[in-house]
Amino acid sequence: MVEKLHLLNATVIIIACVVASAAVACVADEAEKSGAFYEAAVADIVTSRCLKCHAANRREGGLDLSTSEGIVAGGDSGVVIDHEKPEASLLLERIVSGEMPPEDEPPLTAEQKAVVRTWIEAGAKFRNPPRHRLVSQHDVIPILLLRCTVCHGTRRQDGGLDLRTRESILKGGNSGPVVVSGKPGESLLIQKIRDEEMPPRRKLVSVSVKPMTDSELKILEAWIRTGLPLAGDAPSNASIAPQTVRDDRRAFWSFVPPSEVTIPLVDDESNNPIDVFVAERLAARGLKIAPPADRQTLLRRVYFDLTGLPPNSEAVDESLQDAMPGDWKRLIERLLASPRYGERWARHWLDAAGYADSEGAQNEDRVRPHLWRYRDYAIRSFNDDKPYDRFLHEQIAGDELADYSNGGEITQEVYDNLVATGFLRTTPDRTFADITNFVPDRLEVIADEMQVFSSAVLGLTLQCARCHDHKFDPLSQRDYYSLTAIFKDAYDEHDWLKSQGPRTLPHVTAAERAEWERQVQQLNEEIASLQKQVDAESSEEQQAPLKTKIDELNSRKPAEPRIRALWSRGQPSPTYLLRRGNYLTPGDIIDPNVPAVLTTEGYVLQPTPPGSDAAVTGRRLALAGWLTRPEHPLTARVLVNRIWRHHFGQGLVATVGNFGTTGSRPSHPELLDWLAMEFVRHDWSVKWLHRQILTSRTWLQSSVILDSHDARGETMSEEERVSLLYGAPLRRMEAEVVRDALLSVAGQLDLTPYGSPDGVTEQPDGLITSSRTAAGWRRSIFVLQRRTKIPTLLENFDAPQMGPNCLERSESTVAPQALHLLNNAMVHDLARHFADRVTTVLADQLSAEPQAQIREVYRLALSRNPTLEEQDAAIVALGQLREHWRKKADATDDSAARNALGSFCHAIMNSAEFLYID
Amino acid sequence: MACIVSPDSSSCYIRHRHLMSHQHTNPISLTRRGLFQQVSTGIGTVALASLLNEDVFSAGETLHSLPHHQPRARSVIHLFMNGGPSQMDLLDPKPELTRHHGEDYFSRIAGEVEFPDAAGSLMRSPFKFAQHGECGMWVSELMPHLATQVDRLALIRSLQTTNLTHEPALYKIHSGSEFTGRPSLGAWVSYGLGTENRNLPAYVVLDDPQGLPVNGVDNWRAGYLPPVHQGTRFRATGSPVLNLRPEASEPDDVRQVERELIARLDRIHRRDRPGRPRLDARIASYELAARMQLAASDALDLSQETAETQRRYGIDQPTTESYGRRCLIARRLVERGVRFVQLFINGQIWDNHSNIGSALKSACDRTDKPIAALLEDLTQRGLLDETLVVWGGEMGRLPISQLTGDNDPGKSGRDHNRNAICTWFAGGGTKAGIVHGTTDELGFSAVEDKVSVPDWHATILHLLGLHHEELFIDRNGLKERLTGVSPARVISNVIA
Repeated sequence: MVEKLHLLNATVIIIACVVASAAVACVADEAEKSGAFYEAAVADIVTSRCLKCHAANRREGGLDLSTSEGIVAGGDSGVVIDHEKPEASLLLERIVSGEMPPEDEPPLTAEQKAVVRTWIEAGAKFRNPPRHRLVSQHDVIPILLLRCTVCHGTRRQDGGLDLRTRESILKGGNSGPVVVSGKPGESLLIQKIRDEEMPPRRKLVSVSVKPMTDSELKILEAWIRTGLPLAGDAPSNASIAPQTVRDDRRAFWSFVPPSEVTIPLVDDESNNPIDVFVAERLAARGLKIAPPADRQTLLRRVYFDLTGLPPNSEAVDESLQDAMPGDWKRLIERLLASPRYGERWARHWLDAAGYADSEGAQNEDRVRPHLWRYRDYAIRSFNDDKPYDRFLHEQIAGDELADYSNGGEITQEVYDNLVATGFLRTTPDRTFADITNFVPDRLEVIADEMQVFSSAVLGLTLQCARCHDHKFDPLSQRDYYSLTAIFKDAYDEHDWLKSQGPRTLPHVTAAERAEWERQVQQLNEEIASLQKQVDAESSEEQQAPLKTKIDELNSRKPAEPRIRALWSRGQPSPTYLLRRGNYLTPGDIIDPNVPAVLTTEGYVLQPTPPGSDAAVTGRRLALAGWLTRPEHPLTARVLVNRIWRHHFGQGLVATVGNFGTTGSRPSHPELLDWLAMEFVRHDWSVKWLHRQILTSRTWLQSSVILDSHDARGETMSEEERVSLLYGAPLRRMEAEVVRDALLSVAGQLDLTPYGSPDGVTEQPDGLITSSRTAAGWRRSIFVLQRRTKIPTLLENFDAPQMGPNCLERSESTVAPQALHLLNNAMVHDLARHFADRVTTVLADQLSAEPQAQIREVYRLALSRNPTLEEQDAAIVALGQLREHWRKKADATDDSAARNALGSFCHAIMNSAEFLYID
Repeated sequence: MACIVSPDSSSCYIRHRHLMSHQHTNPISLTRRGLFQQVSTGIGTVALASLLNEDVFSAGETLHSLPHHQPRARSVIHLFMNGGPSQMDLLDPKPELTRHHGEDYFSRIAGEVEFPDAAGSLMRSPFKFAQHGECGMWVSELMPHLATQVDRLALIRSLQTTNLTHEPALYKIHSGSEFTGRPSLGAWVSYGLGTENRNLPAYVVLDDPQGLPVNGVDNWRAGYLPPVHQGTRFRATGSPVLNLRPEASEPDDVRQVERELIARLDRIHRRDRPGRPRLDARIASYELAARMQLAASDALDLSQETAETQRRYGIDQPTTESYGRRCLIARRLVERGVRFVQLFINGQIWDNHSNIGSALKSACDRTDKPIAALLEDLTQRGLLDETLVVWGGEMGRLPISQLTGDNDPGKSGRDHNRNAICTWFAGGGTKAGIVHGTTDELGFSAVEDKVSVPDWHATILHLLGLHHEELFIDRNGLKERLTGVSPARVISNVIA
């Protein structure tokens, strides 16, 4: 019996031991004879080689090897010895693979490994068999949370019963006590479960609960039999985690706060420190920052960079008339002040946040009718240059910042704070339906949100630590679950808000609510007056039109404005580490905290409830405060790096979502640190960053690098040039920019911002397009982002499938892009609009010569004049196009000329230059 | 390890592969191969020569990357049966279920039922089973045509999935994860092997003109793989591929002049920007677009098939016309080097919660004859050896009945079951005429030789010459795989 015990998971061991402790002694006798006891030889090896980290005082990985109880119990990764599968026993596996002892310790000798193997193969026996750990509330409560508390817990106490704590269990319910200490058989709780009366079988799905398993019931019985003992909390993260990070692992560059950087002295005419750092690295290859691009190129580049739209024609005219560069800085200010700037840069943030207007993960792919407010919030925040530390506070803990529940006026600020928490409500979520709202479904949502948060804000792959300690970074499973504990007052898998209606709050601004009420009231009055007329009429014939009118007015009633938000719901259930990430194998209880490697040793997050509301824990507020401390090693670096990436096509750290050991090292570490520190000093201003970057000679460089050799004559690849920041990168427009630019050039872009997204329609052949407005089409950021209905044009140009977010879009070059731009009807329509626009402009100038047409097309689409070579090619083509169009039935000279210009515009929209930004 | 020049992760992938195989290559050529991977629907040989270093990749070779080991199958036809075909009514007869008919069983499996309110007692199969072929495989009377093909099948009765609801189970079977956003099996195969026909996509989806399956296009998305690897939908009528044909009524001459102008301007643009391979790829993608128009139209032109062939696929019968057409197109596509062809049926015709007697029969009637014809046809043309045909859905069904509102047993169906699923392979290096795995006597759960979805995926990859642990993409410095981090084993028993 005892041999078998080692095979089973820890919870079963407890039970089996409690049930059958008598069996141990006789088995021990047999083992004594075979001489295969732990104490014989293995103990020496373990004591000398393992206890430094795996003893009671340290328990790295939750593992205590100093006692037989600890060895049998295993650690966060589950049991460590399995004598039926010796090679699969973690204890042996880690030793054999050389993973343990860790790198800086010598490995075990072959002989030592053999001793361990032999012991496990022979049954992993102990001369002093483990004493049996008492079942405690920490074994029982996770089970009750899973199977019972949905009806007997926080929100409901059916039968007056609350099963969340030992105290409330002892208190019992309306029918009296539910447990008799020491007598499970006489306990109502056990009887009801054993008789399969609870949880009620026919109602399982309606409350998203599975029945209790036999082994779980045995644990519950054992706890009652032994008198419902309470264990002191297991050593929690707060007391042991900081010690688990070795100094050398803490010393990894991205875990160390940015250091004050001395700007190197380089012979350089620029006074922008960016250039100094870049020039220094270039100088090592005998190179200098490349000369700046020409005016028209820079104009186009800066417009697309900051606004995602081509330059307007006045700006092009200025630049062509040589009037421009005059004040480059003034141009930058103008663009930063443009509302189009926020629409462009919020898109980058929404990628990182995993924004989508639908739930996904279910066939229905239900639309989220309110999340667009978060999209608008992001746009406004960028336009207002909201300091990034404030931006993070609002998105992580806006509900805790806002005093919204006391019936006071909902100001714009309170509204913004609540809307901002939409950041934590973006991921695919199928929990709106009972059948997909079980605890594992909920845990997926939490895991995705943790991935969004840690990749977007921390630049870490923390999701790896959900099931095991991170393989490469010093991030433990404890770190993962302490982070989820921070969010638990809003994301509690045992106290869940379904993903549609219940996730919204009615706290829009007083003005918006009043306006909505006014509209509804006005309609109600109209309806009431119509109803009176109906009542006054006797014939159906005369009633019918009135009734139709009433129906029509009813359909015009606007839906109640609500916010999709995340908010604190009070004291959450305790957090247990989930061994192997499995919700059925809970381990130690875990306190809320931040990853140990990012703090000083012994740091414990200290949440303070921000107001009088006892329901607000202040945990997320404390997290935001910790994140935005100036000395935080990651927050500023990660954001600065992503902003850099959007300006240069590649981050200083190429892996923008992974600053860990498997990520790239910074190409210019000092530059990154300088930017990060100055960014914080400049009040976390993103616009400050833009200004600093866009006025650098580094950014102004030409993209045309004719010579691919460095000063020593060595060939440089494009990769090397990009990494050295030698020359500007050539970049293809992102999906939204392609669409917006096509619309803009065609004069069909409706710049109306904000509000409910524009719908999408799917043709029978699967083509998905957005709906037209009266003035054209709105910018892509305002198109409904339904996961299963991404407009085809955007999808073809790599609009991401949010899984759960996207930090780096891929840039593919595939035939469907060519097919779309060449053949799609809407692109043809836009080309005709473009041609009409050109004709209109030229009509004023009374010059419809082909040369003039070609120049105008180039000016509007490519922000420059054609070269002679291009003009010649275009003139020939226009002539031929006119000729061929003239041959069509019903064609006239006029129609042929118009159509030819349309075809020419279509060709320009299909040209590489239209799509690639120099 | 960083992917420096191109943010596209496929170039990272190629580079990893080379590091793993210890081949020395210089970074430039790797990047170019990565780039090539991006345009792996193929590009012209001339453009290729300018793009790729001869020492790495000689022009004229087939276009796909090298597999990890000798492949047994060159391509896959996945006959996906959305809804959860009832295993104990089709391919896994249960005499004990007949014996215990009417007995209570619900309380023992209450946590495994989608509709506990409607759960009835144990329900025998209303269909007769018989043994067929030399192998003596049991097949229900609902599949008389498949019964003639059993000596070509490797039947698995012990597949299990992890969720008893359609959407998560569909994501699981198609992408290995219960959630949306991960690349589908076909996308992984395209990513690993590319296409053999430069004018056609590597991964083609033949969905039902009557409507999409559950989860819609998510079933064949590329997730975080480059979008080129997502399934391309071919339609049986009209323009076969989205935007394949011009939607504007312009004369051909106009189109020709316009294309020449685009090419001319792009050459000028490219000439002024040396060292930018992406611009070469861009030009090549326009050339491919033109060729694809011809190749796709040709592949879908069933008038090239004899009336006899069409009849065998059931194209002459209204019940089988639609699915027969898709089966025949599937054969034409694999003949032309398409790597992964996936057939869908509208909605979920196998989701027989009620009226299993008639509903299941109707599902079989639509598909049985075309599928048998496909196996026969592939065999006759010598294609079955190198084509892996896969049949199966996302889940199985329960041995207990699901009652309708009026509790009329005649209208009963069966609820979902994640614990026992029947699926079969044919051809592509699999054993013929064998049964793998056993379920319990009532058919509730697999008990011997259990197969997980990752096992099933690993086996399909294995037959294609790919190792599931070595087929990965570097994403944020992490290796993402179809089989994830869960252990997966190739089902060696089904491999010939």
